[in-house]
Amino acid sequence: MVVQNARLLKDEATEEKGDRARMASFVGAMAIADLVKTTLGPKGMDKILQSTGRGHSVTVTNDGATILKSLHIDNPAAKVLVDISKVQDDEVGDGTTSVVVLAGELLREAEKLVNKKIHPMTIIAGYRMAAECARSALLQKAKDNKQDPDTFKSDLMKIAMTTLSSKILSMDKEQFAKLAVDAVLRLKGSTNLESIHIIKKVGGSLKDSFLDEGFILDKKIGIGQPKRIENAKILVANTAMDTDKVKIYGARVRVDSMAKVAEIEGAEKDKMKDKVQKIINHGINCFVNRQLIYNFPEELFADAGVLAIEHADFDGIERLALVTGGEIASTFDNPESVKLGHCKLIEEIMIGEDKLIHFSGVEMGQACTIVLRGASSHVLDEAERSLHDALCVLSQTVNDSRVLFGGGWPEMIMSKEVDELARKTPGKRSHAIEAFSHALQAIPTIIADNAGLDSAELISQLRAEHHKEITNAGIDVISGGVGDMEKLGISESFKVKQAVLLSATEAAEMILRVDEIITCAPRKREDRM
Amino acid sequence: MAATAAVPRASSKTESYVDTKRRDDVRQANIIAARAVADAVRTSLGPKGMDKMIASANGEVIITNDGATILNKMEVIQPAAKMLVDLSRSQDAAAGDGTTTVVVLAGSLLKCSLSLLSAGVHPTAVSDALHRLSIRAVDVLHGMAIPLDLSNRDALVKSAATSLNSKVVSQYSSLLAPLAVDAVLSVVDPAQPDIVDLRDVKIVKKLGGTVDDTELVKGLVFDKKVSHSAGGPTRVENAKIAVIQFQISPPKTDIEQSIVVSDYTQMDRILREERNYILGMVKKIKATGCNVLLIQKSILRDAVTDLSLHYLAKVKILVVKDVERDEIEFITKTLNCLPIANIEHFREDKLGFASCVEEASVGDGKIVKITGIKDMGRTTTVLVRGSNQLVLDEAERSLHDALCVVRCLVNKKFLIAGGGAPEIEMSRQLGAWAKELQGMDSYCIKEFAEALEVIPYTLAENAGLNSIVIVTELRNRHAQGEINAGINVRKGQITNILEENIVQPLLVSTSAITLAAECVRMILKIDDIVTVR
Repeated sequence: MVVQNARLLKDEATEEKGDRARMASFVGAMAIADLVKTTLGPKGMDKILQSTGRGHSVTVTNDGATILKSLHIDNPAAKVLVDISKVQDDEVGDGTTSVVVLAGELLREAEKLVNKKIHPMTIIAGYRMAAECARSALLQKAKDNKQDPDTFKSDLMKIAMTTLSSKILSMDKEQFAKLAVDAVLRLKGSTNLESIHIIKKVGGSLKDSFLDEGFILDKKIGIGQPKRIENAKILVANTAMDTDKVKIYGARVRVDSMAKVAEIEGAEKDKMKDKVQKIINHGINCFVNRQLIYNFPEELFADAGVLAIEHADFDGIERLALVTGGEIASTFDNPESVKLGHCKLIEEIMIGEDKLIHFSGVEMGQACTIVLRGASSHVLDEAERSLHDALCVLSQTVNDSRVLFGGGWPEMIMSKEVDELARKTPGKRSHAIEAFSHALQAIPTIIADNAGLDSAELISQLRAEHHKEITNAGIDVISGGVGDMEKLGISESFKVKQAVLLSATEAAEMILRVDEIITCAPRKREDRM
Repeated sequence: MAATAAVPRASSKTESYVDTKRRDDVRQANIIAARAVADAVRTSLGPKGMDKMIASANGEVIITNDGATILNKMEVIQPAAKMLVDLSRSQDAAAGDGTTTVVVLAGSLLKCSLSLLSAGVHPTAVSDALHRLSIRAVDVLHGMAIPLDLSNRDALVKSAATSLNSKVVSQYSSLLAPLAVDAVLSVVDPAQPDIVDLRDVKIVKKLGGTVDDTELVKGLVFDKKVSHSAGGPTRVENAKIAVIQFQISPPKTDIEQSIVVSDYTQMDRILREERNYILGMVKKIKATGCNVLLIQKSILRDAVTDLSLHYLAKVKILVVKDVERDEIEFITKTLNCLPIANIEHFREDKLGFASCVEEASVGDGKIVKITGIKDMGRTTTVLVRGSNQLVLDEAERSLHDALCVVRCLVNKKFLIAGGGAPEIEMSRQLGAWAKELQGMDSYCIKEFAEALEVIPYTLAENAGLNSIVIVTELRNRHAQGEINAGINVRKGQITNILEENIVQPLLVSTSAITLAAECVRMILKIDDIVTVR
């Protein structure tokens, strides 16, 4: 039988089948996992991200999501891993590296099984059982201290410190953990991190960072206006403060004398004056506009003793409206219908070399501002990412208050349960279940490796320790041995661990199912050539 | 602690194809690149340090001794080397001076880290040790510091002079140092004695003359000419000054407009109207008694026309045009007046008063000086002069450093000896401390403590002294308890540096060591460079 190798696909489109396809996706996914592997754990390393774009800007980071997000990736399976880290970032904010590493390890184990001629579907079935079993093991061990506010708060502190200890903030982690916990507790259960505003100011050191109960706007007060206002009534607006232009194209005025032009100019001025008067008629003493306020209205505001802030960016005015309880207005004809914002005190403060405007005693008590200080913009950016992770985890934990220990403890617990399941399960699936347990153990192994510890020795000690009925043993990276996680105060959020487990399993499953990769022909870009 | 030591990376159970060899290479490459940057500026350290000439891509030439400026102009692309450039920039922001010191220090710490790494110490262990060291070093520095009273003007002048001594303009340090001190002290607000906003000190550069002619002006200086094309006054006493943000020119509407002229008489009429319009404005201005006008630059239309200048000259009003919008705040603060944005609002209560406004010619250009301002705000202006552009720019940079030094002292009222004394003392005390510690920390800190000696070594080297003799003698003197012994570059020997009046603010030293340590730690922690979009 002669089968004509008929051309199904377009020119340049390629197709990879069977083993080759599977290999390609395994290799891609594992390469990604290996790339971020070294950032895991408190002694994980950082990466330089060097941009090929304009300016060759440089980012130094330890955050898995940030690294993966900015990679050039061609391999489809690797893209799946990047996606799960992104989802993890959006959902729980932390564990972005763990999820990729776990998925990578699961695939590495799967590769071995596939080589032993075990069908991918069998592996998937085994992985599913194992994941289910691991999850229930976690559920059993998780602790919930919601009832006791003091213990709960100390739990939050521990979680924040654990999250921060793998980041740039590790040296000042207590301070930042407190900062993050305070900020999150102010939110009172809402996960809306919008009202926590982070301002970065170069200069000073990380220790000089602080939490401010209020709102800080990085803008200047207009010339000749009051620098301090008590019991402020704030109107937040987005309106043009030059002149209202006729926006019809080609509209023009024809006049026949200079006096008429002067008249029109006068009319324009009057119009502006009217507008300012209307704004002042709202009974306000602070006016914040998203667009520029020109000299003329600025002077009018100064005359009326109104503090006017121009060119506050989108983010700024939206947050300001949110925290002061006002609404963003753009027409000013009905003063009754506009909701004004309120705050107790507006004043100018100085942070480092810059003057900022500080709104304190705002309507929405949840709001607060974290001012970060640091030596350079690299440090600040990384500090912001780290703090953001901590805030995300904490706000998730406030809602789902179950807590686990850290330091590889949950992985060992899961691995033990999964191992037991493997023994009970007949059939080929048990191999897959066993492999799953191996993959779980890889996480503490990597943490130990990154810290320069003898991982093989440590993991075996840890496993022996976990064979006992109740144990809190985990890896103590600082002293370099097995330690009691409860005493060391290393905790993690249950929700994060669960998300890591489930999304890593799902991603691995998805990649395992692939048996053919079709690369479509690239779209022709003649204009570029 | 043995476990933190060099355990060769035990290969994880699963084989991996990213070999750790490459990782070490990345770190090594980073360190070498960063050190190259440090070496480039090393020779400019100290009073006998050399200058660098930088020819930028657009053909501009800069001669400077200021570390931050050199590094800023170097077009560095290696990421780790870039971090060192940033380091000097942050030192500039934090303390304003010591920008070379911080980079040289970081380079030496990196060199030391490299040898520790090759001895098999784990990078995180090195990094942790460095963190402990920097905290301890700050303590040592605090122990050496001498409290300072702001009323002690002498001490302030001395420390400003130390900073100026290493610059091109060092021969003028006796002039510039008191000037910098006076400038900063005059803007300190008694209500907030710890905060100085250097933006309240305006530096105006003017070519011509020599640096000797640099002066502190109690008032305002504009690097502009008085607009006297129409024969207006160039000197006004008992000036009533208005800062205006509107234009004295024919009206222009925001909406597009055109004047239709159909015959000759109409044209005449329009000209007349224009004249009347401007005359009306000028009259209104004159009515308030104003005799000096500062006019903000306008992009929409001419701020003044020949015609309006003519009328203003007639009523003897001095006009300075094209004032930048950014400067308005500074000007109004100084003159204690309010900007006026509309002719209708032109009232007497918005004017500022000064006893004299005059145009003075300096070198080839002219400047406008406003002096004797009534109720002057807390601002001050320094007029810098120089014989050529290069000297002028360098003088400005040096003056900026000196101002920063004084500001540091106002922020943190402590002085410390200069001339390498703090570094050698830190090295000595930390070395002793390392002997009390155990394990990896002890080993690393001992090495780092020695690395701090790079500053006195470099100082001596740059001054052409025998660095080994000098530094060992210095070490010996410190061991005998003379903590203020330092290198006297002028005499080429070790003396009590405090007696030589070589002092610097504590903040410069502390921020140099903490920032350098932070930067080195960051470089150590990097194990890969990833190219991204």
